[in-house]
Amino acid sequence: MAIVCLGLNHRTASVDVRERFALPEGEVPMLLGRICGETSASEAVVLSTCNRVEIYAATDGAGGELLAELRELLLEGREIEEDVFYAHHGMQGVEHLFKVASGLDSMVLGETEILGQVKAAYQLALEEKRTGSKLNRAFQKAFNAAKLVRTSTNIQRGSVSVASVAVELAGKIFDDLSDHAVMVIGAGDTSEKTARALLSRGAKNVMVSNRSFERAEELAEELGGRAIHFDEWEDEFAGIDIIISSTSALHYVIDRKKLEPMQGLRQHRPLLLVDIAVPRDIEPEVNFLEDVYLYNIDDLQSIADDYLRLRHEEVEKCEELIRGKSIELLETMKGPLPAREEGGLDETAEGGRAAQMSPS
Amino acid sequence: MTDKAYFCIAVTVYGIGMVYSLFLWRRGFQRDDWTAYSLLGSGFIFQTISIAIRAFKYDPPRCPVTNLYETLAFIIWAIVGGYLVMGLWQRLRFVGAFASPLLFVMGVFALIPGMDPDVLPGEARNYTGVLGNLHRTLGALALGAFGLSAVAAVMYLTQEHDLKLHKFRAILSKLPPLQRLETAMTRLLWIGFGLLTLGIAASAAYHFQPGKGTSLGEPMVVWILAMWVVYLVLIILHWRHTQSGRRIAWGALCSFLFMILTFWGALESHLNY
Repeated sequence: MAIVCLGLNHRTASVDVRERFALPEGEVPMLLGRICGETSASEAVVLSTCNRVEIYAATDGAGGELLAELRELLLEGREIEEDVFYAHHGMQGVEHLFKVASGLDSMVLGETEILGQVKAAYQLALEEKRTGSKLNRAFQKAFNAAKLVRTSTNIQRGSVSVASVAVELAGKIFDDLSDHAVMVIGAGDTSEKTARALLSRGAKNVMVSNRSFERAEELAEELGGRAIHFDEWEDEFAGIDIIISSTSALHYVIDRKKLEPMQGLRQHRPLLLVDIAVPRDIEPEVNFLEDVYLYNIDDLQSIADDYLRLRHEEVEKCEELIRGKSIELLETMKGPLPAREEGGLDETAEGGRAAQMSPS
Repeated sequence: MTDKAYFCIAVTVYGIGMVYSLFLWRRGFQRDDWTAYSLLGSGFIFQTISIAIRAFKYDPPRCPVTNLYETLAFIIWAIVGGYLVMGLWQRLRFVGAFASPLLFVMGVFALIPGMDPDVLPGEARNYTGVLGNLHRTLGALALGAFGLSAVAAVMYLTQEHDLKLHKFRAILSKLPPLQRLETAMTRLLWIGFGLLTLGIAASAAYHFQPGKGTSLGEPMVVWILAMWVVYLVLIILHWRHTQSGRRIAWGALCSFLFMILTFWGALESHLNY
């Protein structure tokens, strides 16, 4: 018995290569059929996301042989200059699946979206009747491992994007975002993302102000808010608690001189200013004003980086949990257990081939 | 075991709570704080036993607030009781970590020899009956509420400072948001002020009884009225939004510190008046 994994991801292949291998969802059933019909695989699951394409397969034969067949199948009709594939089997294949499901192999370490994608890929294979006892058990265990990793470690703690850091900051200042008005000045991509993140956390009242009023209207409609003329945003200031600014102005849009008298109108309510523009839209001195909390793009990025560092510190702990779960799985599976090499890697009984095939 | 022994155990538990809170502080308050909550909860049990024993030692039983030791013990008890209620809300549980150093220091101060004389001073002997007991109880509970408010103020100032300076620990910690801390702080000010007002009213009613009299120039009366005015001003400032949350927090903290530092002098002069 062997479970194998052949694939490529953001680390081994550039985006133009990944594009060539990306599979629209409609093509996956056909590929699953070919894997089970034309190779020695008895079960298969295909995972295709923007950052990876992976085939998980199980065979009663030799894992090494199956990997070679899968490679041939994937390369069919595609030309690549270098080998971008990684290949795992036995214990390492299972560990890889568990790491992917737990977000340990993701571009953003610990992200959770991948678990949903793995579940969807498994569900599709299940519906196509391309899974059996081995992959069923492996994937169930993978979901179980991902849950364990999420609940017992800090791998998913905190925000690693500028937009979500801004939302987290708002949560440290305001009790309930639904009571607070958000103003977006400059309808850029990051400010839109930040506004959306705030909306997803309960903010209701959003205003958009932009030099191009049409663009402001467009974004306001998308966000369920209202558009304000660029020269009128100051009139709304008394009711605003969060400002996200990302204009392309070469001078400060908000400076201390302008803000200080306006603060009096706000009855000392806290004001969160998120300046994601370069050059900056908000004069740094406004942070010296009482009840004003100013964060620029570097401050937000620095917090995101700190979170990422914390996540990296958790990787070892996660890997230990995953190793334990992989061993548990392999012990419950029928057939001879793979012999473990020093360092936790293995060779399948029938394989005689290194657990990880290096790209050639 | 005597009431004092139970109180000593309670203070020791608060001391352990203080050491644990230093550990939490260093870690940036990243963990949910059931340990601090449980420590203060167990201290509260010992202190309740201590206060009950002391209350029933008197004939007739009375609220044991007759000297500095008893008053401080009662204030500590009120602070912990208030915290145990607040701590039911997960994000306010960290109040315990901030409160335990204050509780320990107040407890040690109460245990200083001479704070608990065997013979009741004249005024304390006389200050009995429902109104007398009500005055003492409400006064001590008010100080407890002001104490908790000061603790919430310290949390507010810590969080505000970290957010202003963009410290990572501001976002990493599980401390409540600034607005919730401000709400907790000001509600406690209102509660304390209400209790203090009722305590003063009870005292006035006590002194209006035939045969009782008091001088408005008595230090304790001046002190208590001054504190009442201070808290009234703080509440009005907050209510009218004329000051920032940070200034109100400093006001709550400084008022309580001033009150606790001058309280013993006022009480001593009152008891021996």
